[in-house]
Amino acid sequence: MSATHYIGEGWKHLVLILGSLVVILPFYVMLSYSLKSPGEIERNEGGFFGAQEMMVDERCVKLREPDRNAIAEARERFPGQSDTAIYQALVSEIESECSTRPIVFNYTKAFSEAPLLRYLLNGVIVTVSIFLIQIVVALPCAYALAKLRFFGREFVFGMVLFCLLIPVHAIALPLYIMLAKVGLTNSYAALVIPWTISVFGIFLMRQFFMTVPDDLIDAARMDGMSEFSIVWKVMLPTAVPALLAFGIFSVVAHWNDYFWPRIVVTGNRDLFTPPLGLREFKGDADGSFFGPMMATATIIVTPLIVAFLIAQRRFIEGITLSGMK
Amino acid sequence: MAVASAEIAAPVGQARSKIAKPAQHRGTGYWFAAPAVFLMIVILIVPVFIAAALSFTDYSLGNTSAEWVGIDNYDRILSRSTYLKMFSSTIIYVLVVVPASVALGLGAALLINSLKVAQDFYKTIFFLPVMAALLAMAIVWEFALHPTIGIVNDSLEAGCGTLLQAIFDWGWLPFVDGSQTWYGRHCADGQFPLWLRDRDYALWTLCFIGIWQAFGFNMVLYLAGLTAIPRELVQAAEMDGARSAWERFRLVTWPMLGPTTVFVVTISSIRSFQVFDTVEALTQGGPSKSTYVMMYAIYEKAIQQNLMGVGAAVTVAFIFFVLVITFVQRYLVERRVHYS
Repeated sequence: MSATHYIGEGWKHLVLILGSLVVILPFYVMLSYSLKSPGEIERNEGGFFGAQEMMVDERCVKLREPDRNAIAEARERFPGQSDTAIYQALVSEIESECSTRPIVFNYTKAFSEAPLLRYLLNGVIVTVSIFLIQIVVALPCAYALAKLRFFGREFVFGMVLFCLLIPVHAIALPLYIMLAKVGLTNSYAALVIPWTISVFGIFLMRQFFMTVPDDLIDAARMDGMSEFSIVWKVMLPTAVPALLAFGIFSVVAHWNDYFWPRIVVTGNRDLFTPPLGLREFKGDADGSFFGPMMATATIIVTPLIVAFLIAQRRFIEGITLSGMK
Repeated sequence: MAVASAEIAAPVGQARSKIAKPAQHRGTGYWFAAPAVFLMIVILIVPVFIAAALSFTDYSLGNTSAEWVGIDNYDRILSRSTYLKMFSSTIIYVLVVVPASVALGLGAALLINSLKVAQDFYKTIFFLPVMAALLAMAIVWEFALHPTIGIVNDSLEAGCGTLLQAIFDWGWLPFVDGSQTWYGRHCADGQFPLWLRDRDYALWTLCFIGIWQAFGFNMVLYLAGLTAIPRELVQAAEMDGARSAWERFRLVTWPMLGPTTVFVVTISSIRSFQVFDTVEALTQGGPSKSTYVMMYAIYEKAIQQNLMGVGAAVTVAFIFFVLVITFVQRYLVERRVHYS
């Protein structure tokens, strides 16, 4: 290996590292802001972690500001003092109770200011039911298209190929009108229904089933299995790798989807998916809430990022599945 | 690509199942396909026709009747300046994001592919934006680009008068006056752009976020395409006199990546046509409609203002664009992508 070779390699790394810095920047900002106090964010100081000095939660103090009754009650504890002195003593007590580390402040606020747990749960409910229904609908159809003979099969497959051309986001408006007409907006059903049919899933599974040898199916038939149980007990297990990739594709797309939930869920917080929750947070955030908001963003983004880091190969396979179309 | 192989494989499957198929299984096919067919019709095909029909009316939700208005809606979106801005900002967005994210994806893939170490490291980092919820990252970018407390403007300001300025005001190039370039001027004013709140910058800033998010996906597709190129081909080109890396790229790699490129360009175009999250969260189409893209227009007109007719007309225009892109792709796939 010559010196020029190393210089060449060095240049490549330099370019890629500069690119990486730009790519990482928002992740760095997000994580760092979620750890820092409002003051540190505003003045842009404290490095990545911030100083983590105790900070006073102004809202908490304001909420518990002592009134007349509180001062009257506290007279016994501070005998012989004037009301102003008692008031000040109480305030400093409250302030010390209301002070926390910025990191704790940000992450507790993320959960207490908005029902973030509920949003996360909604996200899980929606993505999981979408995926399960997609499988229940797509698998038998894919099996029929690949292995059964019936009149009109080619027509159905042609329909699948045609529907591959229609992006669901593009027809969001008529779908919204249809759902509104049957009174289903603002429901889990509205979040799930448009995605129940994955023509891509059907196409993918059909391609996969074409490669399964007919002998396997014939053997199952000889054993007296019904076509129904062949789909779920013979074909499904053979298709696990393809299903896993498709599952990752589906879950990532719907966990991160913002457009469709924005359209069909209006106002009803109980149905908010994580991105909607974050958007709502941004809507009514003031300056001191940058920290909790970034904590919310971190919490929403983390599950998929961690899963990705653990099973990179599978994820890249799954996300680029659409590349096979 | 895969479609072609499916069509080749189909007759084989048919011939085999002809032998194996007892009559009692005949009806099963219908039962298995029925739910999917029903959902395809109701969820995917019918809405296209509904959109087409509504685009000729002044329908709004809650009204029992709707007037037939002929081509008024189309007339409106093709003549009013708001909608002309909508088309121009959408097209600018697509024409910037697609070439840039494809080029960066290809560049990153070529660089990473030629490395000896740390391939996976860079791949992982560049793929991170694809995994993260775009809405969340858009909000983070907004903070980073905040005019006063954002890290971007802070760093730019801190860079003034240092080596950073010396490099990026390009004053070291011949015939360039450092104080007159972008960075030089802003350093002299002490004022950096408002980014998302400045109508001259907002669309470009959104383009940047779009590129940031998309190029890792393209990179991964290109990496897959690169592994499919046989080594012998590159070596043969080298022996035939393609000495420089550029020659080998031009003569072997680029033509061999043809199918990948067609696919990457298509999917990038369709995705960037659908840009919505960043617009809705950061600019709401503004300032002064400079980022008023089609998806946002559909959302604003139809969902927020209940003007379904106009929204439907924009939807039809949108579907038209997507179909054009797809047909161009099909055409290219069938014609010249290999060994062009």
